[in-house]
Amino acid sequence: MPASSIDTFLACSVMIILVLSAMVGASELMTPYISGLSHRNDAERFQQLASHLLLSTGTPPNWGQMREPIPSSLGLAKANSFLPYELDIDKVSRLNSENAFSLTYPELWESLGIHDVAFQIEVRTLFELSIDLISNQTQGNETIYEFEVATRKSGMPVSADLSVYVVVKYFVDNVTSSTSSDGVGSFSVNIPNSLNGATLIVVFAKAKANPQMVSFNVYAFGHNSATPFSNRTFLRLSPLNYVLNVSFTYPTTEILKAQVFTFNYNFSLTEEAQGDQTVEYNVPRLLDSSPMIMALTGLNGSSSFAEWVSYPQLPLQVGSDFSKSIAGAKIVSQIHIVTINFALYEVATKWGGTA
Amino acid sequence: MFDKKGQIRIIEAFLAIAVIFSALIFTTITFPSSPNLAKQKSLASFGMQALIKLDLNGTLGKLIAQENWTDIKQSLDISLPIGVSFNLTIYDENLSPINSQVIQNTNLLGRETVSVQHVCASQSQNIQFFILCLQLAWTR
Repeated sequence: MPASSIDTFLACSVMIILVLSAMVGASELMTPYISGLSHRNDAERFQQLASHLLLSTGTPPNWGQMREPIPSSLGLAKANSFLPYELDIDKVSRLNSENAFSLTYPELWESLGIHDVAFQIEVRTLFELSIDLISNQTQGNETIYEFEVATRKSGMPVSADLSVYVVVKYFVDNVTSSTSSDGVGSFSVNIPNSLNGATLIVVFAKAKANPQMVSFNVYAFGHNSATPFSNRTFLRLSPLNYVLNVSFTYPTTEILKAQVFTFNYNFSLTEEAQGDQTVEYNVPRLLDSSPMIMALTGLNGSSSFAEWVSYPQLPLQVGSDFSKSIAGAKIVSQIHIVTINFALYEVATKWGGTA
Repeated sequence: MFDKKGQIRIIEAFLAIAVIFSALIFTTITFPSSPNLAKQKSLASFGMQALIKLDLNGTLGKLIAQENWTDIKQSLDISLPIGVSFNLTIYDENLSPINSQVIQNTNLLGRETVSVQHVCASQSQNIQFFILCLQLAWTR
């Protein structure tokens, strides 16, 4: 074989190997871009789905007020509303698993009718409120409790006005305070020593910058008594269609007082119906830009309790758990500001599909 | 063993390698990343929603008429998620800026911003119209 043929063969082999390796390299380089092109509309699609969920009423339009049916199409908007992104208080409450009439995630997923996506819905107040008991001291026939409150949005201070209610058995009192520009404030409540039992401190905070931005929190402690049991030990409270449905965990439970609180108002709840281990209370339709907190005090044998629920029943998180998503899953998170009964809240939706 | 023709072909092969690899390197460096339009669109939609919600019951118009720039900034601070930078400029009917204080949380210089506009009115007897221009950017 001539030497030139060997050289040509060698040169051709080198060229073929290099061309092939270049093709493989180029292909690897282009793959993410080509894959990205095929999924470039996913984020927009998920945005449209989130808007659809929050702008449509679903079918039937008043499915939130009904106890049993699963909506044939899912939408959280309030029927006959003139405001965009105004949500129905009952549709939101039925998303909360603590509500006796709540929908499960498979039911919600079936109602949404989009079978190639998983989703999660989270509804919360626009800013957070924390309560800490600083001190207590007995003066005469009263005990004075001093609390510190912090109002923050993701760690940033929010200046707010505070409306505080104290509830012990039949005793209800209201004090007002505020948090300064650093988001910290304090208040004190006086409780007669003639009382004892589970006590609730219900705090509403209204941002000074905008009265529709409201947050709330509840602090429970024992006044002249042991630390009370956690919330929902004795009662299951499920507000729906302006009726508070109460079911007892124990048959020996006795309700002493049922109250509803908003930032500006508080009323006693009137009993509408009583069943076997259940009670229903009418909830007034208050035109206050504030969530409602319903607090019930009672006795179970010698144990005193004070339990509560908010209406809309918040905070809530329902749907798929994306923290355990497999690698390669495409997840899009959306945040919307919504109105529920004149107050503003934040809805975070997460949408995911396979990439 | 090797003659001149063979040597030339080997040189050609190496030249071809050089061309292919330089093309590859060039492509890697200069391949433009596609701008994330969906993310920007979502930011614009969120900004517009925030302005509309803040203007419920004419709140925003009232705060502008009172020249309460601090409360407007605080309202936006609460409404917008952490990680979003904003700058709000308010214009009157003649398109002259009227906010005497800068309404922003961080500087937007050098960031890829989106801009949304919203019109609102005061609720006083002498009605005034305001044009709000909200610029938003993701903090990296």
